[in-house]
Amino acid sequence: MLAKVERKNIQGNEACALGAIAAGCRFFAGYPITPSSEIAHTMSRELPGVGGTFIQMEDEIASMGAVIGASLGGVKAMTATSGPGFSLKQENLGYAAMVEAPCVIANVMRGGPSTGMPTRPGQGDIMQSRWGTHGDHPIIVLAPESVGEVYSETIRAFNLSEALRVPVVVLIDETIGHLLETVDLTPPDPASIIERKWATCDPKDYKPYEITKDRVPAMARPGDGYRAHTTGLTHDETGFPTQDTEKGKNAIGRLLDKLEYHKGKIESYEAIDCDDAETLIVTIGISARAAKRAIKSLRADGIKAGLFRPRTLWPFPEEAMRKAAGKAKTIIVPEMNAGQLIFEVERVIAGKCKTVGVNRYAGDIITPSEIEAAARKVTS
Amino acid sequence: MNMEPHISAEEFDIRQFMRLDLFPHFLCPGCGHGMALRALMWALWEQNISMDKLAVVCGIGCSGRLGAYIDSNTFHTTHGRPLAYATGLALARPDLHVVVITGDGDCLAIGGNHLIHACRRNVNMTCLMLNNEVYGMTGGQVSPTTSPTRYTTTTPYGNAEPVFDACKLAEAAGAGFVGREVTMQVPTLKDLIKQAFDYDGFSFVEIISDCTEIFGRKNQLGESAEMIMSQKASTRPDSYGTRVDEPFRPNSLPTGVLVKTDRLEYRAHQQSLNPKGQK
Amino acid sequence: MSASKTHPVTNVLVVGVGGQGVIMVSKVLALLCQRQGHEVKQSEVHGMAKRGGAVFSHIRFGKKVHSPTIPTGEADILIALEWAESMRWINQLNPETGTFISDTHKIVPPFACRNRSRNQKAVYSKETPKDVLGKVAQGYALDAVGVAAELGNERAANTILLGVMSTVLDFSVDDWLDVIAKFVPPKSIEINKKAFLYGREWVKEATIPEMNGEVEIEKAAELTNELEIIPAWCKGCDICVRMCPEHCLELDAEQKVVNARPDNCTGCRICEWLCPDFAIKLHKVPVNEKQPDAAMVEA
Repeated sequence: MLAKVERKNIQGNEACALGAIAAGCRFFAGYPITPSSEIAHTMSRELPGVGGTFIQMEDEIASMGAVIGASLGGVKAMTATSGPGFSLKQENLGYAAMVEAPCVIANVMRGGPSTGMPTRPGQGDIMQSRWGTHGDHPIIVLAPESVGEVYSETIRAFNLSEALRVPVVVLIDETIGHLLETVDLTPPDPASIIERKWATCDPKDYKPYEITKDRVPAMARPGDGYRAHTTGLTHDETGFPTQDTEKGKNAIGRLLDKLEYHKGKIESYEAIDCDDAETLIVTIGISARAAKRAIKSLRADGIKAGLFRPRTLWPFPEEAMRKAAGKAKTIIVPEMNAGQLIFEVERVIAGKCKTVGVNRYAGDIITPSEIEAAARKVTS
Repeated sequence: MNMEPHISAEEFDIRQFMRLDLFPHFLCPGCGHGMALRALMWALWEQNISMDKLAVVCGIGCSGRLGAYIDSNTFHTTHGRPLAYATGLALARPDLHVVVITGDGDCLAIGGNHLIHACRRNVNMTCLMLNNEVYGMTGGQVSPTTSPTRYTTTTPYGNAEPVFDACKLAEAAGAGFVGREVTMQVPTLKDLIKQAFDYDGFSFVEIISDCTEIFGRKNQLGESAEMIMSQKASTRPDSYGTRVDEPFRPNSLPTGVLVKTDRLEYRAHQQSLNPKGQK
Repeated sequence: MSASKTHPVTNVLVVGVGGQGVIMVSKVLALLCQRQGHEVKQSEVHGMAKRGGAVFSHIRFGKKVHSPTIPTGEADILIALEWAESMRWINQLNPETGTFISDTHKIVPPFACRNRSRNQKAVYSKETPKDVLGKVAQGYALDAVGVAAELGNERAANTILLGVMSTVLDFSVDDWLDVIAKFVPPKSIEINKKAFLYGREWVKEATIPEMNGEVEIEKAAELTNELEIIPAWCKGCDICVRMCPEHCLELDAEQKVVNARPDNCTGCRICEWLCPDFAIKLHKVPVNEKQPDAAMVEA
């Protein structure tokens, strides 16, 4: 019998919520904020039916706290927000990274800074999603470009988060969050859904932050008899705070090394016509959709253009991009901000070719013709 | 109601419930937080709550560090947020007994918003606020509960702000169970905490604690023994009656169970509205 | 036996510790007597609940009662809800005709029942039911709280004692039960009925010498108090030294607490409770097992 194919015409925000539930998310805490509110709406409607809990907390900080609390209790949990709320969540996001509490944060980006343009799109959180909270910390950021990808990337976000015990941010453009597209909502193969690695050893031998080969320590579920301590202070393998710089170095070292070790699992990107591309476009989300149209018309005119789109924005797939830029003379970086992604591109390419930004930061999306024009300008 | 504190110390040994490797603990000499921790553990022991089924969520500050010493599932979270974490934990795991340990700065200043909404929301958990009138860990700064005119490292000319009455705040925010006690009354405090556990919903207990090292000395309040005795003397237990004894103890803080009302617990309420999430 | 030969008055003294239910017991008796057509006068000290203090209530009933209090040595019945309290008031009992009824249950208040002067040895009442034998005409002592707990509710202990007392007074069982039901919560009427009847049954077999079996008190007298102090945990905050009611503790040269006067220790646990560092633990050990150096245990 064929698997039941379920197609629906839905919004990006709804797809995010449905993806989360399909991935096993059973706890959602949020706070109303445009343009992400539909994620909370869908969750509040759907979660009780699958035995989950929805709660609207008193503020963004509390909703992030509640999500981590639920996650530490052993339940897959997520929250959704937008720029100003994302800023407030950074405090507890850092805690999640430090104590390695799996959780997913959907950030539907809007124009900024500050209250900015709540109903208009922006891509101003590219750097905040990587460096928003203080201190060196591991984090994974995914950047889908369509409603369908929002669904599948949200599922992937949970899988990565649970497998690696790391917070995962899904960066969604306002435009995609509110875009209606027909999506294949076929539930994922249950075998593909990853569950957290739970401690099964004798409680006497349990080390909450043991440095193992795969860098991911097994987590103790409260009530299973492990009685572990969880702290945002720098802790050693036992989970208790330490002032010992050597132990601290090992603990933070493992934390940072974790994503590097699992890079192969985390990385995901799309490379179109990159093999011979002299003009490479690197961009994410809705801007990449404009770029796809641009390279089509550029290729029609004989201009060797290609697109490199990191689906996993952070950690940045640098080797893949370097490969995609093998023949590139110019790299064009369209983004709906004053220039953030371009810094990473420049770092990766290290001066081997020219970089040009195409920027918009006043609530408009970047059109294909703008990207095309930039490409024609550099090739003429 | 039997007003006598129930003394059961015969077998209770706090050391059985502590992570002894970490002792002696980090608290300053004479810190009331130790007595509060004893009362909490004693109450848990009398209530037969298994350490495996207990979750202690702490904030930041001197009070926040207490959790690490309890041999249980302990969470040392971010400044002011333990109630938010505990709300998530309690909703996700209703089988756990969730206890929040917080301080006056943690709970009333940076976490004030979480407190009032936790009171209003009524998720089943017990919040113990250790009030020592000062930010101890950061070096003795003024807190929302520092008495007027007292000296701290940020009020070198005396505190000009009035005191936040945490219990009245909790009551006004809708908390179904509110209580207050001083640390010196360990058995009475233990009984109060037991009653807080028994309450189905959010219970709030303010524990008046002493900070001798960096608050008491600076304000010439004496050593710990004097501080705890004067704290005890400045309270008016609920069993004295509120009106009758007022002339004998004017301006004193009422202690004991201050509020106890029947309210439907959050989870139960939510499930009663739509038990299966039918659309 | 009574103040006036023409108007015989029966004197009942009810004693106990605040919170136990002395007033409830006396109210039951007073109402019962009133219903039987007696004039009743009652006088009490109450409101000591929080303080753990002594509470007593005088009940006098008869055709005509003038004074509300019982003259010393003229109580016909002494009913004590707590053992040490029975000892405190035993002189109030008429030595020739009085009936002594006491619970052997003990409540040891840390501050209230001790000798406060320095170096005075102060312990809980050492008398046993046997010691009472020669002092009273008729006596009953039983572990009513223990029995009540077995019946299902410790609070029914007072009703057991009322059952015992009912064998001395001339009122019918039904009248007693009727009045008791007025004073206990509806849910506990059944258990209190059981408790009352238990008390009446028990009297049929009981005499004081047999009550030597009240091992609880005998055992308590044999225990001694030992403080286990972990010097490494003690931070010398001085709280225990200042708060010890018997002035047993001192700080040594290194500002660590030591039990300087172990013989004065009454085992009240104040030091253990108030030690913020959990450095003190009281152990109640049988006298013959006491180790000479056990008071100091290295961490």
